Amino acid sequence: MLHFILIRLARALLTILIMVTFAFVVLRVSGDPVLALLSPETPASVVEAFRQSWGLDQPLWVQYLRYLLAIVHGDLGQSMRDGRAAVVVVAERIPITLLLTVPALILNIAIGIPAGILAALKRDSFVDRAVMTSAIAGFTVPSFVLGLLLVLVFAVELPWLPSGGAGSIQQMILPVVTLGVGGAAVLARFTRSAMLEVLGEAYIRTGSAKGVAWRRVISGHALPNAAIPILTIIGFMIGNLIAGTVLVESVFSWPGLGSLLVVSVMSRDLAVVQCILLFVAAAMIIANVLVDLLYGVLDPRLRGTGRASGGA
Amino acid sequence: MSDLSIGTGTTPKARSKRRLNWAMPVAVRLALSWICLMLLVGIFANYLTAHDFAALDLRHRLEPPIGFGGSPAHLLGSDELGRDVLARLVISIRMSLLIAFGATLIGAVLGTTLGFLAAHFRGWVEQAVLACVDFQASMPFLILALAVLAFFGNSLPLFVALLGLHGWERYARITRALTISAGAQGYVTAVRQLGASPWRLYLRHVLPNIASTLIVTMTMAFPDIILLESGLSFLGLGVQPPLTSLGNMVGYGRDYLTRAPWILVAPAVVISMTTLSISLVGDWLRDRLDKTIS
Repeated sequence: MLHFILIRLARALLTILIMVTFAFVVLRVSGDPVLALLSPETPASVVEAFRQSWGLDQPLWVQYLRYLLAIVHGDLGQSMRDGRAAVVVVAERIPITLLLTVPALILNIAIGIPAGILAALKRDSFVDRAVMTSAIAGFTVPSFVLGLLLVLVFAVELPWLPSGGAGSIQQMILPVVTLGVGGAAVLARFTRSAMLEVLGEAYIRTGSAKGVAWRRVISGHALPNAAIPILTIIGFMIGNLIAGTVLVESVFSWPGLGSLLVVSVMSRDLAVVQCILLFVAAAMIIANVLVDLLYGVLDPRLRGTGRASGGA
Repeated sequence: MSDLSIGTGTTPKARSKRRLNWAMPVAVRLALSWICLMLLVGIFANYLTAHDFAALDLRHRLEPPIGFGGSPAHLLGSDELGRDVLARLVISIRMSLLIAFGATLIGAVLGTTLGFLAAHFRGWVEQAVLACVDFQASMPFLILALAVLAFFGNSLPLFVALLGLHGWERYARITRALTISAGAQGYVTAVRQLGASPWRLYLRHVLPNIASTLIVTMTMAFPDIILLESGLSFLGLGVQPPLTSLGNMVGYGRDYLTRAPWILVAPAVVISMTTLSISLVGDWLRDRLDKTIS
């Protein structure tokens, strides 16, 4: 088990390193950062002083090492908009975003998995078709369209809920629903096919043939085996959820990480963008490690290998 | 994530049905008709409306569509600058489809090429390609795309190229796997023994054999790209004015959600219907052509 965790950690660090290098390379390739920051009329001496003060006159590999060293020390530069440390600017938005993503993930799971199981058990019935049709619809309607539609209905036509902002439970409802529905659709579709696959296995037939109650066959044999591919897809969904918050926060003017990213991209506040990039990479890695550890819990065969065989 | 299947649970009964069933369900027919309609609108965009999509008409601002108190002059109403919503919609459809086609092609060509390279050279080339595939698959693409836009600024060619990077990893993964397994088949050995160059081998012999899988992958990547394009344009970080795209129209219409919802309803419906139709057709094609992708 320790070996397994160590391998996961090494991989996680490698991914972070690739991400950091990606940010560094893209940043340098995209043009002279000094000229992007200062106006064209700035005198040459000022430009030179600026270059020196930021270490931009050093060779590229020195800059890269310095950059890595700074990141190890938690120094990710300063926001160009208000001069505070980028880490602080980003960190203070994280809890606000989690307020949306955690309930949305719970909503995903609470709707998606039961709906998928139901559709699989009642295959080709009316319930199945209804679930699958709404799953396809939920999955192809873009989140910002769904969000605006909800605003139009529940905030404009029926003035029940506020259309945006943060601070109260009422303001959370629409964004969480918007985020939750798309993921639930994906999860329902996937749960259904995972369940169908398992239900076709021989041990299910054996179980029901020897007289085990159907309910017990489902809960004791089918579900635990379908859980592994479902868990894989939940791991992937974390990424979708993070991407989804960017759009949904923008629709509902929710002051989280997504809104910060959009504003920073527009004003080309590179330190903040880079910092968000690293935070997202870290979040994805943590999610993946958690999923891998859960694989080990769910399936003893996977404990030694550190890799799920039956992934998506 | 459109590569999730609706019906992978193939029962023995379904498997024994050897004959391909080309009879189309009604939903797929409707979806195909919608796609054809959108293609026609895209091709003949210039001839479809009397208005110029950028022409201002400040005396007829925020006019509702016909049937909701509007005049026949603006069938779908007009926006905050008096521009005809129908004309903008038609031009936007063309723009969004062009971008999605361009980006899908870039992704397919890039991914397939890398897949061939990985399968041909094996060794560290393959490992490098697979590492990139893993990296791409593990990061939410929207975030990467936003970062690149922040670093490089925005222009239409860059935007299309950037969207082309979305989904390349699927083609790379599939091409690599299929090429490696094709290498074990007789025809590849035969062509190689006859002295064909790798180019000829891969483009003339392997590619046609794996094309159906790649085409299915493309139909499944296409809606994703439309969603991504409209999402970024909605945020104001995609297609820039005076050009317009479907996401762009929704984004700018958002400010008039209460006073003039028709500005954004029309493009929103078109985006949803189009991605829905292509997904339906893609699923159906996959079930017919290729059961291996799931």
